[in-house]
Amino acid sequence: MRRVFLANNTNELWDMLRQYPEAAIYAGGTDLLVRMRKGICDPSALICLERMDCLKGVREEGDQIFIGACTSHTALLADPIVQRSFPVLAAAISRLGSPHIRNMGTIGGNIVTASPAGDTLPPLYILGAAVEIMSMDKTRRLSLADFIRGPGHTDLKPGEILAGVWIKKDQPYNIFSLEKVGQRKALAISIASLAALLRVSGEGIIEEARLAWGSVGPTVTVSKEAESFLAGKRPEPGALGEAARIAMDAVSPIDDVRASKSYRRLVSGNLVLRLGASVDGNSPQPAWLPPAD
Amino acid sequence: MKIRFCLNGKNLEIETRPDRRVVDLMREDLGLTGTKESCGSGECGSCTILVDGQARLSCIMLAAQLEGRSVTTIEGISGEEGLHPLQEAFIAHGAVQCGYCTPGMVLTSLALLGRKPCPTRKEIREAISGNLCRCTGYQKIVDAVKTFASERKVYQR
Amino acid sequence: MKDTPLEIGRAAPRFDAYAKLTGKEKYASDFYAPDMLWAGVKRAGVPHARIRWIKTDDAIRIPGVLSVLTSKDVRGTNRQGVVRKDQPVLADDKVRHCGDPLALVVAEDRETLAKALASISLDIEPLPGVFDPENAMAQGAPLVHEENPEGNLLLKGSLEAGMGEKGFEECDETVEALFRLPSQEHAYLETEAGWAIFKDDILEITASTQSPFRDRYEAAEAIGFDMHKVRIIAPYCGGAFGGKDGITVQSLLGLAALNNPGRPVKMWWAREESILASAKRHPARLYYKLGAKKDGIFHALSVRIYFDTGPYDNLGGAVTALGLEHSGGPYRIPNTSLKAWAVFTNNPIGGPFRGFGVPQVTAAMEQTVDMMAKSLGISPLDIRVKNALRRGDRNPAGTTLTGSTGIGECLRKISASRLWQESETWKKASPPFKKRGAGLASAMQGMGYGPLIPDTANAKIELTQEGLFRVFCGVVDMGQGNASTYLQIAGEILNQGLSGMELVLPDTARTLPSGSSSASRTTFTYGNALITASKTMKKRLLERASDLLMAKGPEEMTLVPGRVRHIPSGKEMPLSALAGILSDAERTSVARYRTPSAKDSPTRDPNLSLHGIPHIVFSYAAHAAFVEVDTLTGLTEVKGFLAVTDCGRVLNPQIFEQQIQGGIAQGLGYALCEELKTDRGVIRTPDLGTYIIPTSIDLPDMESAAVELHEEMGPFGLKGAGEIAMNGPFAAVANAIADACGIRIFEGPMTPERVLGALEKKPSCQEEG
Repeated sequence: MRRVFLANNTNELWDMLRQYPEAAIYAGGTDLLVRMRKGICDPSALICLERMDCLKGVREEGDQIFIGACTSHTALLADPIVQRSFPVLAAAISRLGSPHIRNMGTIGGNIVTASPAGDTLPPLYILGAAVEIMSMDKTRRLSLADFIRGPGHTDLKPGEILAGVWIKKDQPYNIFSLEKVGQRKALAISIASLAALLRVSGEGIIEEARLAWGSVGPTVTVSKEAESFLAGKRPEPGALGEAARIAMDAVSPIDDVRASKSYRRLVSGNLVLRLGASVDGNSPQPAWLPPAD
Repeated sequence: MKIRFCLNGKNLEIETRPDRRVVDLMREDLGLTGTKESCGSGECGSCTILVDGQARLSCIMLAAQLEGRSVTTIEGISGEEGLHPLQEAFIAHGAVQCGYCTPGMVLTSLALLGRKPCPTRKEIREAISGNLCRCTGYQKIVDAVKTFASERKVYQR
Repeated sequence: MKDTPLEIGRAAPRFDAYAKLTGKEKYASDFYAPDMLWAGVKRAGVPHARIRWIKTDDAIRIPGVLSVLTSKDVRGTNRQGVVRKDQPVLADDKVRHCGDPLALVVAEDRETLAKALASISLDIEPLPGVFDPENAMAQGAPLVHEENPEGNLLLKGSLEAGMGEKGFEECDETVEALFRLPSQEHAYLETEAGWAIFKDDILEITASTQSPFRDRYEAAEAIGFDMHKVRIIAPYCGGAFGGKDGITVQSLLGLAALNNPGRPVKMWWAREESILASAKRHPARLYYKLGAKKDGIFHALSVRIYFDTGPYDNLGGAVTALGLEHSGGPYRIPNTSLKAWAVFTNNPIGGPFRGFGVPQVTAAMEQTVDMMAKSLGISPLDIRVKNALRRGDRNPAGTTLTGSTGIGECLRKISASRLWQESETWKKASPPFKKRGAGLASAMQGMGYGPLIPDTANAKIELTQEGLFRVFCGVVDMGQGNASTYLQIAGEILNQGLSGMELVLPDTARTLPSGSSSASRTTFTYGNALITASKTMKKRLLERASDLLMAKGPEEMTLVPGRVRHIPSGKEMPLSALAGILSDAERTSVARYRTPSAKDSPTRDPNLSLHGIPHIVFSYAAHAAFVEVDTLTGLTEVKGFLAVTDCGRVLNPQIFEQQIQGGIAQGLGYALCEELKTDRGVIRTPDLGTYIIPTSIDLPDMESAAVELHEEMGPFGLKGAGEIAMNGPFAAVANAIADACGIRIFEGPMTPERVLGALEKKPSCQEEG
């Protein structure tokens, strides 16, 4: 039998971690409990953070927004600050797993799992998110890019937990795009995804671009080269095509049961081509048959 | 360990292993076999239960997590006086075939209707996108939820 | 409302819906008891090997483990199968696929069971495997069954009409192609499950099965137990689709229970085990060549089909034969040469799955038809209408169609539909980076077992002492609603509502043998038997009541809900009162029906006839798919789907639509995303996270219409509707993609990756109108 502890606050949590340093920590369980079923891990004890109210919710602090690690995806989708300030993140979350998975899973869990296909990671990268890490005696902050070390690897040390994410509130972009390519529209693990933020001038010139790809490398792929290439250009087929070529060089995908390396590479580039449609106000996300309401 | 929670409107205290999957607790220990298991890993929605009104997957939830919660299973939906009107809509629209996904579909739809009384067909399809059905092609389930939502007065008694 | 007499042709609520909606229905997987044991099996995990030793001593020493059994403990033939008995209950000499069971463990609880299974070690000698059906037939290929005189061949079939291949010499145009179709997993939501108890010398097995009566003798023979002491109970299945048409848990449960008398034993496969061990739709390779005159009239067809049946027959021969019989589609083609091979490999087991070999051949034939239309410059609709079978024609397998033949009517209804008429406008309005297309497919599906295996049903109806009509349903309701239709049939004849009826689900001790729930036969065959039984019952009740009420004769009497009425006087008698007067024998009526078979002899091969050729009653359908292809990702979205079906008279429009919509959904999954991937016999898509079936947001709203031609032989004019809708979607989508982008994907499913790959090879696509 495995012991399962529900931590209600940090004091309880540190106590539990002191007593059971080997315990696995989870919030929604949508990842850990599935890995346990598959026999990938077999922890002797579990600590569940779903009751850690201090790590939940979205709040403003100065020019920054703090998102508690234990905030569920569903709560984030309903949050007015997230909807208003970070629609690219909301769009990614709306394609994550299924409604049930979003009810249970948390943003902290998605980050700490550090899957190459983690749906929240590309938007968080381009939003310049930083993570706050907490242990019994201190907290520290570092950029998300530094925190994610590789597939399934983070900078989290024993005795530390992820407390939340900091994102600058005012983002200097007026266009966002989020596209996820999966094997189906729900309950899908990303084959390739592109999160993009653009600042486009009144004259239609891209002043700044931020691009991040998911599932096409060991961690999120960014391309400074593609971003700086697009700066100063109109989002037209020629420029986007060149940026797409740069992107295809930047990614380092692998073959797996979902898709081949070459498909992932091609799509990484192709998704850039659709950015023009976002600027034109056409939804970048494939729609389905209009409901007959 | 002892766990106290509210199940289908009744307070309950049970002795169980803290790492027992909630789906096993419901089916095997409490005899509520309306909660189905199909994939065991959160990929199908057959084991959906409502926890404090929200749809959750009981195959990836452990008994300890139920402490203090209010849980609704399909057995708690219809009262002594008969079926819930949403269940009647499922019958009227032919939304039931093999029936194995049905409890999860009903519970998920009720959670949706709780927060959005008049969803569009697209919103209904979104809401049940974590509940796999292999028989119906989903259309009649959407029909049932949609009709129930738009004709609520008809079903209200 | 429940008293309203049931009527044929009117939607009636399903009898089973209430219990399913409230969670009260007890499926085979829902049984628990305090003294219940759990059974499970150790599976091979390698595709081909010789078994040297199975080490079970560690397992048996674990406290809480009651038995650990291997093939040595099987007293019977240890072989299962419907046509060819070649599948062991527990593998003895060899492992033939990764899912083969080697040892059966019975334990007090699931944790102990898992521990015991993990402690069993295997000493097995790996053998070279064979994983490709064409390679498997080559000289020197590793043999799956060394004792099989035909090597790795399970069945070879050939049908020839007219001049056969020579017909091509008279054709103006010929098109040919090779199509590859994937293995498809049933993915019923209720995995294989059941429980058994051996008590008072009776072995009682409750299982999620489509074929309780066949299971009874099959399991009894395999485990060496008197069949007459075996009772099989078949509750509603949580889905089956063909995957439970044959033994899954039954023999293992029987073995487990016989070794642990007096205690119930449960077995319930986990999803991963279900995917590993269950039969799937046969992966197929199909070589098609079609010849036509320049006016578009088909003249010659040559087909070579290879079905990979995995290591065991599992009805694979019958599936292949049905595919062969349907391989030319619902068209007049005077010269045909049709050949099929079912081949053993060490891949997962191929077996029955909705459509039974027909989805594969339809996917190929209907794409070939579009290729022909394109090369002749005729519209896909016109070429189909021109060649569509009519009553009196011989179909491509050589069978004279004596019954209703509505394919032409289906096609005409498509062409008149709003969706089809507006499709050109809709196509032109495609958004940036998207291409829209419309595609058609025709389909047909034969009904029943064919000529040799008696396709019979025995219906039984009883007037209970309480005055209710109890229908003893001998054919499983796996979710398709046939049990409700039986009540409707009896209700129509006896003029009763649902509240006046009772249903007994299949149980070898209570209901009569009526065959399997398969082959689009359940309502056709059992329904016909039930009509006779109900009419006999009605006649007897009216006669007896007429005597009791001093009427002039039964013509003065009529049945009303719950009562019988003397019309002239208005006097009524409750059915319960009538029942009280009748003897037990009079309160029961039974009748048998056997589905007729075709009188033609398209084949002289007795083996092919044994495997079901030819059929006489066919359902038909025309499907239209409307797709939008994303040229950046290759994703194909089905935006609209129209199915027009000829399955005779529709008895219950709601149940009919359920079957059509459900079949389309599985067909669209087959077309677009479902693929059981293997690597040298090892499954790479072992769960529902990797084996992808459509969710609610992957499927469109579908439109369905019926061409209600009356089928003389059918109950109230019906033909089966259970499978037909599965056949069209693959080709309709493929043809729509071709229409949208000018590309054809010859390997299924048509995933974004395959579509984008084809688009890349055709760079002009972006510019094409």
